[in-house]
Amino acid sequence: MTLVEAVIHYAYFVMAGIIGLFFLKGLFKREKHKGLAYDVVYAYCIIPFLLRILFIK
Amino acid sequence: MSEENTKTIIETETAAPSPKKKKRIESNWITKSICLIVALALAAVAGKSFYDQRHFKETVVSAPGLTEIKYLSDYVPALKGTYGDTPIFVYDSGVEGGSVLYCGGTHPYEPATSLSAYIMMENIEVTKGKVYIMPQANYSGTTLGIMGNAYPKDFDIETEWGKATYKIGDRTSNPLDQWPDNFTYIHYPSKQSQAYNDLRNLNRCFPGRLDGTFTERVAYAIMELIRNENIDMAIDSHEASIMYPVVGVYVAHNDAMDIAMMAAMDLTSTTFDMKIEQSPGSLKGFSHREWGDYSDTLAVLMETPEPFIDRIVGPMTRDLMLTGQDLFLSFAGKKGLTYVPYELETGWPMEVRVGRHLSSAERLIYYMNMFFPEKEVQATWPGYNELVEKGCGAFLHNPEEADPELVFKV
Repeated sequence: MTLVEAVIHYAYFVMAGIIGLFFLKGLFKREKHKGLAYDVVYAYCIIPFLLRILFIK
Repeated sequence: MSEENTKTIIETETAAPSPKKKKRIESNWITKSICLIVALALAAVAGKSFYDQRHFKETVVSAPGLTEIKYLSDYVPALKGTYGDTPIFVYDSGVEGGSVLYCGGTHPYEPATSLSAYIMMENIEVTKGKVYIMPQANYSGTTLGIMGNAYPKDFDIETEWGKATYKIGDRTSNPLDQWPDNFTYIHYPSKQSQAYNDLRNLNRCFPGRLDGTFTERVAYAIMELIRNENIDMAIDSHEASIMYPVVGVYVAHNDAMDIAMMAAMDLTSTTFDMKIEQSPGSLKGFSHREWGDYSDTLAVLMETPEPFIDRIVGPMTRDLMLTGQDLFLSFAGKKGLTYVPYELETGWPMEVRVGRHLSSAERLIYYMNMFFPEKEVQATWPGYNELVEKGCGAFLHNPEEADPELVFKV
C-alpha cells in the first residue's frame, strides 16, 4: 500500500507538470481566444503547477 | 422595403466589424513572452516565501538535563529523511519513576502548543522519572499555511536578547508530503467515515498504521513511541477557536478521567477556569481516544483559547496571534456566543495560552503522582502566573550565549 500510495503521489506531480506544459502550449500556440487577456490568464495559471512540480508549494 | 432588402441590410450590419472589436489588442510573441516573464517573476516571489516556510527551523536552547534525542524514525524507519520525522527530547532524571510525554504541534496552526513545549524544554528540571517532549508532532504541517487563509507565516517573541521567531503552520500535513486527498477518508481501523481532508489531519489518524498514508505512519510512530517507551501519561496540547465548545478544557480518556477531573477542579479553584470532558468512545482517530485504547498510557488532550483561528475575526495578523484581540469577536463575546469569556481589552495573549498549557500539564502530573505513586514523575517548569507576569520571552534563552551542544534547530 505504501508503494502504491507513493506511485500515485508522484504520478500526480507528473500530471501537474503535464498540465503546466499544456498551459504553456496554450499560451503560445492556441487557436482560439487570441486576445491579451487570455495570455495573462494562461501565464498566471502556470504558477501553481510550476510551484508544485518544484516541490515548493 | 421588400423582405429581401431587409435581410440584406441586417446581414451587412452583422458582418461589419464593431468598433469594440477593432480596439482589441492582438497578442503576439512579444506580449506572450512578457506575460510569461511576469508570471515567472510572481512565481519566484511567492515561491521564495513558500520555500522559506518549508525550510525554516525554529531554535531552542535546551535545559542542561537533556539526556537523549530520539526521532519518530527510530520507531518507524520509513519516516527517516521525510518531513514526518521529528525529534523527541528526553529528560531522564536517572531516578526510577514514571514517564510523561508532552506533545506540541499536532496541529501546527496552534503555535502556543509548540511554544509551551519549547519553554518547557528550556526550563525543565526533572528529579524523578522521565519527561519526553515532542515540540512539533506533525512537522510536515509546520511547513505551510492554510490554503486560502491569508495569514503571516511566523510571529516573533520579544526577549531581552532579541526576537525569537516561530512558525504558524497548517492544521494538516503538507500536500507535498501526502497528495492527492481521497474523496472520502475511512479511518483505520474503525472504518468510520470522516471528512476527506482529515486524512492529512494527524489528530484524526491515530492509532495509524505502518503501511498507511504519510500521516497515518506519523501517527503510528507516535503510538510506537508511547508503547515502546512505556509512557505512563501522554499529554497532547492544542488550541481552539473560542466559538467552538471544546475550548479551555481537558479532554481525557476514560482511564485518565479521575486525574483530569482533579486537575481541572484544582486549576479552576486556584488559577484559571478549566473544564473537563470525557473522550467520546465513538469519536475515532483522536489522541485522547486512540492513545488510551491502543496503549496503557493515560491520555489527555488540552485546549486553550486561540482567537486567531476563529471564523469571524478581522485581519489575521501577527498582532492578533500574539494578543488575541479582535473587534468582531468582542461583539460575539458581548452576545454570549463564545465558550470562554472574551473582552477586547484583554483578548487571549500568547503568554496566557502558553501559561495555561504549562500549568495544566503540571497539574496532570501532580495528580497522576497522587493516584499512581508507582508512576511518580517530579518535574518543574514555569507556570501560568510566571508567564503572565513576565511574558514568554523571559523564559527563552539566547542561543548565541548558550552551550552549542544544547542549541537545536527544530
